[in-house]
Amino acid sequence: MSRILQLSLRHINSVTKYPNQATNELLKNCARANSNKTRTNSDDLFQEFTDWETLNKKKTVSKAMKAYLERAREHDDFMKKQEFEFTVGKRHLANMMGEDPETFTQKDVDRAIEYLFPSGIYDPAARPLMKPPEEVFPARKAAEFDEAGRPHHFLFYTGRPNFFKLLYDASEHIQNIYKFEDKVIRKKAIPDPNAKLELTSSVWYSKEELEQHLVENITELEYENFKLVMERLVSLPYSYRSKEFIEKVRKPIASQKFALEIPKPSYDEEGREYITTYECLRKKARGDVTIRSPGSGKITINGKDITYFADTQSREQVTFPLLFTGMEDRVDVECNIEGGGPSGQAGAIRWGIAWGLRSFVDKSMIDSMQVAGLLTRDPRKRERKKPGQPGARKKPTWKRR
Amino acid sequence: MRNSLYVFHKLCVNITPGRWPSLLLQNRLYAKYFPDFFQNPIFRKEDQAKLIENNELSKYTTVPVLPPSASETSMHFDPLVNKVINHIMKDGNKKLARSLLEKAFENVKRKQIERYHLAKTPEQKAKIELDPKNILHKAVENSKPMLQLLPIKRGGITYQVPGPITEHRSLFLAIKWLLEATTEKERTVHFPEQFAWEIMDAANNTGKVVKRKQDLHRLCEANRAYAHYRWQ
Amino acid sequence: MLSRNLRIACRRYSQSVTTFRTSEISPAQQNSNQIGLFYTLDNDLCKQLYGHGGLPKCFLKQTKTFTETTFMIRQPALEIIECIKATDFNKPAIRYVLHGEEGTGKSMTIAHLLHYAHQEGFLIIHVPWVSNWLRRVSRYKEMANSLTKEGFVDIPLDAAAWLLHFKTQNQHLLKSGELKVSKDYEWSKREKTPAGSTLLELIEHGIVRVKYACDVVDTLLHEVKLLSNTKQCKTFVAIDGYNGFFNPLTNLHTPTKKKVAPEEVTLTASFLELTKNDWTNGVMLLSTDAIAHPEYEQESYLPKYLLYRKGFDHIDPFVPIEVSNYTEKEFMTCASYYRDRLWLRGSPDIEKELKITSAHNPYRFMELCAPL
Repeated sequence: MSRILQLSLRHINSVTKYPNQATNELLKNCARANSNKTRTNSDDLFQEFTDWETLNKKKTVSKAMKAYLERAREHDDFMKKQEFEFTVGKRHLANMMGEDPETFTQKDVDRAIEYLFPSGIYDPAARPLMKPPEEVFPARKAAEFDEAGRPHHFLFYTGRPNFFKLLYDASEHIQNIYKFEDKVIRKKAIPDPNAKLELTSSVWYSKEELEQHLVENITELEYENFKLVMERLVSLPYSYRSKEFIEKVRKPIASQKFALEIPKPSYDEEGREYITTYECLRKKARGDVTIRSPGSGKITINGKDITYFADTQSREQVTFPLLFTGMEDRVDVECNIEGGGPSGQAGAIRWGIAWGLRSFVDKSMIDSMQVAGLLTRDPRKRERKKPGQPGARKKPTWKRR
Repeated sequence: MRNSLYVFHKLCVNITPGRWPSLLLQNRLYAKYFPDFFQNPIFRKEDQAKLIENNELSKYTTVPVLPPSASETSMHFDPLVNKVINHIMKDGNKKLARSLLEKAFENVKRKQIERYHLAKTPEQKAKIELDPKNILHKAVENSKPMLQLLPIKRGGITYQVPGPITEHRSLFLAIKWLLEATTEKERTVHFPEQFAWEIMDAANNTGKVVKRKQDLHRLCEANRAYAHYRWQ
Repeated sequence: MLSRNLRIACRRYSQSVTTFRTSEISPAQQNSNQIGLFYTLDNDLCKQLYGHGGLPKCFLKQTKTFTETTFMIRQPALEIIECIKATDFNKPAIRYVLHGEEGTGKSMTIAHLLHYAHQEGFLIIHVPWVSNWLRRVSRYKEMANSLTKEGFVDIPLDAAAWLLHFKTQNQHLLKSGELKVSKDYEWSKREKTPAGSTLLELIEHGIVRVKYACDVVDTLLHEVKLLSNTKQCKTFVAIDGYNGFFNPLTNLHTPTKKKVAPEEVTLTASFLELTKNDWTNGVMLLSTDAIAHPEYEQESYLPKYLLYRKGFDHIDPFVPIEVSNYTEKEFMTCASYYRDRLWLRGSPDIEKELKITSAHNPYRFMELCAPL
C-alpha cells in the first residue's frame, strides 16, 4: 500500500513541477518533434521548398538533423515513460479508492486527487493534479527542416513562422477582398447586407489560446498586431468571403443560461405570489428584495418608502426596472439593504427587482430586460490602494530630486 | 528577417486613408470586469421598439450585455445631456452637476414659456421651442467647429495648419466652449443663469460661442496656404 | 375579478382626468367635490394679501411663469374652513396646528385660508415666516435694546415691515376707522397716541417712527385682543413656522457677540402673548415646519418634536391638522394642470416615473418637472 502511494505521489510530483521549464530548453532549439502532433501545412510546404536535386547529390544528414532526431527519440521515450506511469498510477489510484480500474475515468481521477490531497492554494493551477501527459506537456513542433538542414517553411527565419504566416494570409485575404470590392464597384452593385459576418457571438482567441493554436510563443505586441489586422479584415464590407479563415481564430462565447432557471413564485399567508432574491450586491451594498404580486406599486426600503433615498438618481434607479417592464402598479416591492452608499444600494435594489421580476413577466420581456442589461450584475468594486503610490492608480508627483 | 519585413510592408500598403476600421474606436472601457465582447445595453424604449420591429432582439439575447450605468436609468435619459453633465462635473460631484444643469434647463424653460405667452399669433407660438433639451441639442450643433488648426513644425517655424476635425473632437470643443463662455461671468451671476443664456444664444446662432467658432473658421481660411504642410 | 375590473376602471378614470379647474372662486363655498381642483385668484387681491410675503418664493416664480395665481383645493384647508364655520366665537379662540413633511403644502394651506379669512371679513394677523426675523440675519441687521422692557432686544426694521404687511392686508377694515385704541400711549415726550384714535394711526406711527415699531406691534396685538373680546372685530391669526419661536437660540447677536435666545426678542414675546387662548372671537392657525428647526436633520415632523416641551405646553389644547402628500387624484389633476401650463411636457410615461420618484410630494413633483 505504501509503495502504491509513493508511486502515485512521485507521479504527481513529476507532473506538478513546472512543465514549461522542463520543456523550454527543448523549445529553444528549432528542431522539435512530437509523435502525437504534426502540422499539416508544413507537409505540403515540404514538397514545395525541398530541393530534391541537392538532396539526392549529397546523401549526408546534417548535424542539426542528427541532433533533432536524437532529441525526438529522447522525447518519445520520455513521453512513453510518462504514459506508462500515468496508466499505472491511475490503476493504483482506482484501487485505493476501491473502484474498478477499467472504468476509472479522468473525472474520477480528479475527484480522487481532490479528496486525497485537499489544497487551499488560491490559484487552481498550483494545486496538485494528475492528468494524461499529453495534456501536461505542451505540444511540440515537428521537424522544420529537411535532412540537408534547409527549412521547409518560407518564413522559418522570422523565428515565428506560423504566426507570421497567419498575418501574411490575413493581408492576402484583405487584398483579395479589395480586388473583389473594386470589381463589384465597377459593376455598380452594393454589398448584400444579409451576408454580413455575425461576430457578436464569438471573440478572438486570447493570447494564450493563440499561442496554443500556433504552437509558438508570441509577444504582447505581436498579439496586438494580430488583433489589429484581423479587426481590419472584419471591418471590410465583403469580409464574409473570408469567413472560414476568420472563424479559425475565434471562439464562441458561452451562451447565457439564466433564462432556463427562472424560479416559480411561492405563496404567502395572504395568498399572494411572492419571490425573494437574496444577495443583491453592488459596490459595498448587499441586501434582499421581495416582490409580491398582485400589488399596488408600493415600494418599501428598510421600512421606509422611496423617500429612503434623498437624491433623484437613486430613486430613478430603483423605479427603472418596474417602469421598463410596465409592472409599476402591479407588484409590491420590499427591500432590506445595508452597507455602501445610496448609489450602491440603489444599484443593488435595481438588480434585485429586475432579477425577481423574471418570474412575473413573459419570455419576450425577459429578453428585452437582458438586452437592456438589467439582468447583468455589476461586479465592479472600489479598487484597492497600492503600496508605494498615493492611490489605486495615482502615482506620486514626479520630483527631480 | 527579410520575410517578416515583407509581411510588414504588405500590411502597410493596405492602409489607405478612409479605410480605417470603425471598430478601433472604443466607446466604453472597464478595467477588468467586463471583457471586450460585452455589448452596450439598449435600454431606451424607442431603441428597443426599433429592435423588435427589425426582429433583431433575439440576436442580442445570447450575448452578454453591460449593465446600464446609474446615470442612464431614467425614462427621459439623453446621451448628450449626460455628456454635458459630465463636463460640468468637478471632483465626481455628479449630484451637484446634474442639479446645475437642471436649473439651467428650468431657466430656459421659464423664459421660453414667458415668450410663448407674450407671442400674439398661433404661428409665432408654434415657432417657439419649449423643450430645453432640444435647445441644448441645437446649441451644441451650432457651436461645433468643422475645421481645426494644428501646430506643425517645418524648418524651425511652427505653422498653424488647418485640417479636418473628427466628430468626437468637435463635440468636445463645442461643449468646452459653451462651458468656458459660461464661466466668464460676473461673480454675482450664477452658473445656471449664465448657462441658460449661453445655450439660448447659441441655439439662435448668436453669442460668444458661435462667434468663437466663426473666428476659428476665418483663421483656418486665412491659413489656407499652409494646408499642404499637413502631408509634406 | 371584480376587484381587477374595479382597478382597471379606477386607472382609466385617473388617466382621463382632464378637468383640473373649478369656477368656484370663493373659499367659503368650496366643498369636498372640488378636492384636487385648482381655482384662480384675482391679481389685485393677490397683491393685497400676499404682496409682502405669504406665498413661498418658488410658488411666486411659478405664478409669474404661469401668468396666473391658482390654488389647489385640498382636504386640510376644507377641514379647517368647516371647523371655523362650526365654531362658537364666544368661547376662547381655537388653535389649529398644521404639520406635515417638507414640501407638502402647509404654507399654501395657510395662503388658501387667508383668502377665506379675508372674504369672511376677519382681521388678519399674519406672520409669513417666523425665521425671517430670528434666523435669517443679513450683515446689517438693525438691532437695538428695548426701551420699554428690560433685557429685551428689538428688531425695529422687521417690525416696521410687518406693520406695513398688516396694513396692506387689512386696508379695508382699517380704512373704515371703526377700530379705536382703548387708552393713551406715550412713546416719548412729544409723541403720543391718544385714546380713541384709530388703529391705522397707531400703525402709521410705527411705520414712520421705526424706533418704536416693536412697541407699536406689542400695543397693536394687545389692542386687537381687546377689540375681539368686545366683538368689534373677529380676528384670524396665521403664523407660519411657529416653532421658530421655541428654538434654543436665534442667529441674532448682541454687540457683545452674545447669542440671543428667541424669548429675549420683543416680537416673540408679543406673538407668544397673542397665541395664548385667553381671548375670544378669534381663530389661530399655526404651522410647525421642519425647515424652521435648528438641527440639520430632524427625527420627526410632528409638533411635539418640533415645538419642544415649552412650545407644546404653551399652545396645549390645539387641533392638529396634517397636511399630507398628494393623493392619486390630486397628483393627476396637478399633472394635467402642469401640462396645460406647458410646465410638464413629453410622453405620458414621464408622469408614471415622476409619480414614483417624487413620492407624491407636491414640491418635489414641481421641481422634478422643471427641467423637462
